Amino acid sequence: MLVRGCAGGELRHSLAERTKALAARCHALRSPARADRADRSAERRRPRHRKSQTRWYVKQPTWRLWGEERVDGAIYTVYLKKVRYHRPTRSASSESDDEISHLEWETVRVRFVKAGTVERLVEALATDDGELESTYVNVFLATYRSFAECSRVLDLLLRRYEALAAEDVVPSAVDTSQQHRKTLVACLHVWLDTYPEDFRQPPHHPALQQLLAFTQLHLPGSELHSKVLQKLAVFSAERNGLGVGGGNVCLAPGMRLPAHHTSTYRMPHVPHRHFAEQLTRMDMELFKKLVPHQCLGAVWSRRDKDRSHDAATVLATVNQFNAVSFRVISTVLVEPNLRPLERADILASWLDIARELRVLKNFSSLKAIISGLQSNPVYRLRKTWALLQKEKAELYDELARIFSEDNNRWAQRELLMREGTAKFADTVGENDRQLQKLLHERGSPGVSHGTIPYLGTFLTDLTMIDTAIPDTVADGLINFDKRRKEFEVLAQIKLLQGAANAYHLPTDPMFDRWFDSVIVLDDREAYQLSCQIEPPTNPPKDRRPKKINDSNNQGHRKNDSIASTSSSNSSQFYCETDGAGNAWKRDSLERRTSPTRLSHGSSSSSLPSLDVSLSSANSGQKAANGKAGGASPAHTHTTRNGPDFYIIRVTYESDCVETEGVVLYKSIMLCNNERTPQVIRNAMLKLNLDGDPDGYTLAQVLPDREMLLPANANVYYAVNTAYNLNFILRPRKPTPEPVANGRPRNKRP
Amino acid sequence: MTRPGPPNENLPTVKLVVVGDGGVGKSAITIQFFQKLFVTDYDPTIEDSYIQHTEVDGQWCILDVLDTAGQEEFSAMREQYMRKGDGFLLVYSVTDKQSYENIRHFHTQILRVKDRESYPMLVAANKVDLVHVRVVSEEAGRELARQLGAPYIETSAKEPPLNIDAAFHELVRIIRNHPQQEEKQRRRRKLAGCTLL
Repeated sequence: MLVRGCAGGELRHSLAERTKALAARCHALRSPARADRADRSAERRRPRHRKSQTRWYVKQPTWRLWGEERVDGAIYTVYLKKVRYHRPTRSASSESDDEISHLEWETVRVRFVKAGTVERLVEALATDDGELESTYVNVFLATYRSFAECSRVLDLLLRRYEALAAEDVVPSAVDTSQQHRKTLVACLHVWLDTYPEDFRQPPHHPALQQLLAFTQLHLPGSELHSKVLQKLAVFSAERNGLGVGGGNVCLAPGMRLPAHHTSTYRMPHVPHRHFAEQLTRMDMELFKKLVPHQCLGAVWSRRDKDRSHDAATVLATVNQFNAVSFRVISTVLVEPNLRPLERADILASWLDIARELRVLKNFSSLKAIISGLQSNPVYRLRKTWALLQKEKAELYDELARIFSEDNNRWAQRELLMREGTAKFADTVGENDRQLQKLLHERGSPGVSHGTIPYLGTFLTDLTMIDTAIPDTVADGLINFDKRRKEFEVLAQIKLLQGAANAYHLPTDPMFDRWFDSVIVLDDREAYQLSCQIEPPTNPPKDRRPKKINDSNNQGHRKNDSIASTSSSNSSQFYCETDGAGNAWKRDSLERRTSPTRLSHGSSSSSLPSLDVSLSSANSGQKAANGKAGGASPAHTHTTRNGPDFYIIRVTYESDCVETEGVVLYKSIMLCNNERTPQVIRNAMLKLNLDGDPDGYTLAQVLPDREMLLPANANVYYAVNTAYNLNFILRPRKPTPEPVANGRPRNKRP
Repeated sequence: MTRPGPPNENLPTVKLVVVGDGGVGKSAITIQFFQKLFVTDYDPTIEDSYIQHTEVDGQWCILDVLDTAGQEEFSAMREQYMRKGDGFLLVYSVTDKQSYENIRHFHTQILRVKDRESYPMLVAANKVDLVHVRVVSEEAGRELARQLGAPYIETSAKEPPLNIDAAFHELVRIIRNHPQQEEKQRRRRKLAGCTLL
């Protein structure tokens, strides 16, 4: 099966073979053996330049393009393939093609569907003589969603079966017909096993029901029949049992560990390897859940804003990547008063974590950290970077080189190719002194690691394929060659997903708590903090229409620096990461009501304090709108003359019972002309609350009492800056109607 | 100066970065520029997929285009690749108002990353072939470009393509005519050296 040779210039065919080889390995993913890896790198090695492509084909030419063949509703590409006369055995031949003398050949004609109608493509699941064409089946099942609905394909498949069954009356056709039907049944097995989600279709599972009716009629008591029954049972069990609880996840009381545990993860003194392992565990869980066909250009890059659930597993991975980057940015910037050396230690600490991620072959979080370090607010801190030890600076360069965009991200692709299914990291560039040292120190680890790729490269490749290659060819036939091309990428993803099973990492709930507790700054907040740490040397004039408020001439500045300690302990300091779906859901349910706990929480800080008294280098900027991290603020409103702002923390009080023990804070920016309704609106946005701002009240939590803000106060001036800027948002109580005590009103976002 | 073919060695490399929201047709612009004929053997993973020798106003250069289509939502890595660009094609779709409004944000982000008051950029209003669903007018586009201090061009990557080559070539001209380019190069190098200390 692993035919590596190819007639000179037959690029197309070589690709088809590579796909085939990848597909074959997708079935045997459990043990990414060394041999496998050698094959892979040999096979996937790319020419440095397109001009030298012919160098690939040094081996015996075994395939030759014969031409195209057109039939009604389909176009085939036909190859002539040399095969040995005498096969030792069927199965052995696939592995030992290379070793046996290639002297005795015969030529056979092989055809691949190039394009066709859906009907023809379904027919092609079995070859002309009814054999299972496994590559084709894999490509088809991985990509059919871009040209047909599940129900349509199933319908065609079943009808094809029935048509073949009817043919049985012609004696001469019996054998092939039976073989054909066997193959179709095999396809259904593969489909059910590989893509069970296609059949979920709640609440009635019509496709599965249709399949059940079919098996009852044609294949009663067969393996397929019982598989269908079993799937139905699983789905309905999920619907009746787990489904209801799904939205109601809540940490068990035992999970709420004492506060000081999260301080383990306070930068810069963190256990690097453990930290990297925990990031990898988070990534691994998401990566294994990733549905590869959601990465297809037709799904991911063409999705509507409101159809994002179609690519939910991709989005989850993206959100995690951003979340890691945001944590880098946040931990570096959030304490503006650190000494430069202390901040450099935080950079160094992230680099140490990144180095461990390299060993773990987790390229997703590794890139996320590098991206965080290269994000403008962090990267521009020249004085801090200059204090980094020489070897750490080298380490940074070496790690950053992996993700160079040069030559179409060649470094990254090459590395993934080499180590993707290897047991452990073993590739370093000759100039990578720090990484060489690292791998030398570690030797070969006793355990093997999986690999987590940076998904973005695949997403771009698939987007480009989707753009470059048309969906249909002449006559409107579905361009199946495009699907083969896409499958090459999907097969790589699947291969790596299989390899990810090699990770065995402990779960540390406290790490997750720490992770969720880090403040996330939106890019404006981050930039302002960064400028506070190191003022811009050459502030861009065109973004400062009013030059009056220079940093040494504060027209209107409040100098009280707000040492608002971020909470910690029992508090879930979750800040959003652009809709990190599940995390948000979990956290939002863990609210706590007691304001006393809130101030208690802030007294024992395990997080860096946020001391914000920013100068005015940014007058004339847009005001915060409460949406973190996003590139596209949903709705901005301008502050007319407010250079100053505070970051305040708002918690939402609900009477929700199950949320005891945890406080959910959101940080929002408070500008100096914002009035109560606007601040409430901002807070609601961050807290994911709908409704009318008038339906809520906002109060500052003081040590001894709460200060309710008047309905239309200028909050900036109304707040008591002698204390932490902690606020409570709660629904306005309808005065006439007494609320039943303790009854959860349970206003969920 | 002008020769029939590209000279072999020592051509200046110009790095162009295509930015804009998802779905505005960035990838189509890039593909149209690099794959004049839509070929079925297109391979997005080859090293020089997005490199082309180009002659603009009689001067040859190597265009190295970075298009991260499909990675728009990895918002955290945007600044990382912005840092590498010599010039930026800011693409929005005339059928998508939000993408038009976001151009401003990309512009601000680029200037911040570059720590400059201006930088070579070209605003491209894409998908102008979709006349019936157009929601952003040419005037609105020009006004935005004027405010950002960048030229404006209308493009379509659909056959027959409109202004695709012109957009890339114009951006090369903008880069060549942009002052302080040399100073920038030196500054970057100095910073790179700085981190090694």
